Amino acid sequence: MPKFPSSQWVEEYAKKLNENDAYKDAGKTWEGDLVFVVEKDQSFPKDVYIYLDLYHGECRKAVYAESLDQIPKAAFTYKGPYSNWRRLINKEIDPIQGILTGKFKLEGSMMKIMRYTKAAKEMVNTATMVQTEF
Amino acid sequence: MWFFRSPEIVFGEDSLSYLSTLDLKRVVIVTDRYLKESKVISMVKNSLPASAQIVVVGDVPAEPSFDDMLPSLENVRNFSPDWFIAVGGGSSIDTAKILFALYERPDLSVYDITPIVKLNLRKKSRLIAIPTTSGTGSECSWAAVVSERGEKRKNELASKEILPDIAILDPKMVIDLPEEQTRNTATDAIVHAIESYVSSWRNPYSDALAEKAIELITGNLPSVLIKADNIKAREQVHIGASMAGLSFSNSQIGLAHALGHAFGALFKIPHGKSVGIFLPSVVRFNYPYCSDRYDRLNAIFPEDIREKKLDLTLENFLNKIGQPLKIHQMGIDEKNYSNQVETIVELASESTGITTNPRDANREDIRNIAMSVVNLSK
Repeated sequence: MPKFPSSQWVEEYAKKLNENDAYKDAGKTWEGDLVFVVEKDQSFPKDVYIYLDLYHGECRKAVYAESLDQIPKAAFTYKGPYSNWRRLINKEIDPIQGILTGKFKLEGSMMKIMRYTKAAKEMVNTATMVQTEF
Repeated sequence: MWFFRSPEIVFGEDSLSYLSTLDLKRVVIVTDRYLKESKVISMVKNSLPASAQIVVVGDVPAEPSFDDMLPSLENVRNFSPDWFIAVGGGSSIDTAKILFALYERPDLSVYDITPIVKLNLRKKSRLIAIPTTSGTGSECSWAAVVSERGEKRKNELASKEILPDIAILDPKMVIDLPEEQTRNTATDAIVHAIESYVSSWRNPYSDALAEKAIELITGNLPSVLIKADNIKAREQVHIGASMAGLSFSNSQIGLAHALGHAFGALFKIPHGKSVGIFLPSVVRFNYPYCSDRYDRLNAIFPEDIREKKLDLTLENFLNKIGQPLKIHQMGIDEKNYSNQVETIVELASESTGITTNPRDANREDIRNIAMSVVNLSK
């Protein structure tokens, strides 16, 4: 069972994302990369980064990194502390409500991303499909 | 963690007189071209303090684009108001929200009006909404719908900072509302209440408001449609519609709105009509995922139209009030509609309403619901 966050987890997540028809359907016109930032908090010692290159419902590249230098600059960033990521993956936080309540921050064009809220939801659903160890 | 947000609400007969108690010096009234010379605008003007200076922005078209608002913005900036008063339906209120935001912050773009941008408004002015229709809920919501010129799309802008400070619900403001608009806007309110009640963001506050909204609207709308000047019934529908607005504003909408926005933008159909037509099919689609909730709402509908299931009750109710359930009843050619269904599916798939619907809907599900309003009971 891969531990979150880790390169094994990211690999498994990208695989599940590409197998998820609901994501494929919701993200079929999406073009753009994004970075998930898992920020350090009392339960996790350092910031880590998950880079995803998403194109027309497919995850073309997924990279786990412990430094921003190791990944390309992405159009969107979704970041929050580790404990909130844990709650998100356990479906205790809705990804959009997470932004509205300040548990996560989104950087990038809100107008664009608001057209893909279904895809965002499916990305979180996919994360819940990964057997995860915290 | 979640929030409940609401303006100060002043309601009931003579509530317009509340304006005279406020410290209003320089007022911009935002309204549409049909209302600007009307009795309701005179009533608002006459309720303002005698010393107030007034500018009327009276050229808001139905379903305005940002480009439609730009010429007024310059006038507003030159006038330097301390209050905005929106008088009208959803288009006027939404326009006032945007003029208010961009007057406060000239450095912003309309696309900055999103929940993640801190706008820091209310440094120069505040916002009052006085609805002249009973249904859009815009007076109580932190959203504004803006069409995009040249594109068949409606942008859903949102920020807690564009929520009006005060909403005034005076039944005299809706007493002359024509029957067709009364029906359409009330249908919109019913859809707000039903969709918010099963939204994945629902909460105890939105639940309570949705239940009461259904009771007030369905119990009084038929009387209003028979006797338009029944002010008591008008007042109940007006309050119910505002409650439905508060309910969805604090919990979100669903698939009927996602489809209705797309359909309305493509075929230029009034909003209430365009969301109402899909509601029974959306309820049918969602039923296995929220049957308890739908059954609870069903029990609130008046007994004489109530069926065993909410979708059937809704068909009865919409029939009774004369709201179309099939597109041919709107005078739309079914072949033309069918040819554009893929665009409706595409636009609906991009609506935020799709995310909070209680049942996940893929493109095929959306297509099936979109096609459910064609070909039956001609």
